[in-house]
Amino acid sequence: MTKPNTGALDPQQSANSEIKSYATGFVVSLALTVGAFAALLSDLPATWKVALICVAALLQIVAHLRNFLHLSFSGRQSREDLLLVLFSVSLLAIMAGGTWYIMSDLSGRMHQASDSNAATHDVPTR
Amino acid sequence: MSESNLYPGLNLGDTHGEAHDQAETTVFGFWVFLMSDLIIFGILFAAYAAYLNPMGLAGGPGPNDLFDIKSVAIQTAFLLVGGVAYAGVSLGVKYKKGRAKLVAWLFLCAMLGTGFLFFEVKDFLSQASEGGTPQASGWLSAYWALVGLHGVHVFSGIMWILAMIGQIATRGIDDVVKVRLSMLGVFWHFLDLIWVGIFSFVFLVPLA
Repeated sequence: MTKPNTGALDPQQSANSEIKSYATGFVVSLALTVGAFAALLSDLPATWKVALICVAALLQIVAHLRNFLHLSFSGRQSREDLLLVLFSVSLLAIMAGGTWYIMSDLSGRMHQASDSNAATHDVPTR
Repeated sequence: MSESNLYPGLNLGDTHGEAHDQAETTVFGFWVFLMSDLIIFGILFAAYAAYLNPMGLAGGPGPNDLFDIKSVAIQTAFLLVGGVAYAGVSLGVKYKKGRAKLVAWLFLCAMLGTGFLFFEVKDFLSQASEGGTPQASGWLSAYWALVGLHGVHVFSGIMWILAMIGQIATRGIDDVVKVRLSMLGVFWHFLDLIWVGIFSFVFLVPLA
């Protein structure tokens, strides 16, 4: 407050806030990791376990991006970097999500097809 | 932290002059590589998920037969602490803490990465001896490809760390070394991020 506002930062102050940011990231990651393992070992129904593990993973990925990789959605980030990451993530969502959707859909249809084939095969021979 | 960030990752800051500007293009280029790496990992995750059904298992050993949750927890701890330890390197470069401290932090990261790899390889060997080889089923092919690729990344990360220790010893902490350490930091944290996906979706979800 006593210094003139020249835009220069006190290095000690910014070092402290950066250490704090890493420490926050570590504590959050640790809590989410322990939470995910605890969910697995708990007596909850399987769908609850899967949901909790997925939510913990997504939150931890956000924490890593924010606190360790220092990605930010605020104005401090240059535009190109955000566009690069967002574009890659949307490509990934299309390719990985699409692959998973198509393959699980196909697998479901093939199971059904073989079941109904067996059923229709049974009818005439009976 | 109100200074402007030229690139994602911990910025060197204006006090580093030339190196800070040089880092902008170089680290951005490295991010482009990492994003292509992310796509590869993402597709392998999708393949793994697609094979996670009775047909994908093809009568071979499954998650409950092969996965050792304790070992996964140990590997996760090694990698998480190893990732956070790189903060010591990044902040050490930025605030000019000197060679000895930097090398010590780098060495710590390399040791924790090696600990991770030790348990991962141990798991791979025991899984292979229980019939969980990559050729046993589609699910196991996807598992070995995904987790194995991550392991190869961690190994190359350790090699990179050792190379940087060598460069700090011979060149000192000049602009080139600073920029390379910035890239290594992004790489090392990225591996940690991929591992979050692996321990959650590859190990925990199928066991749930």
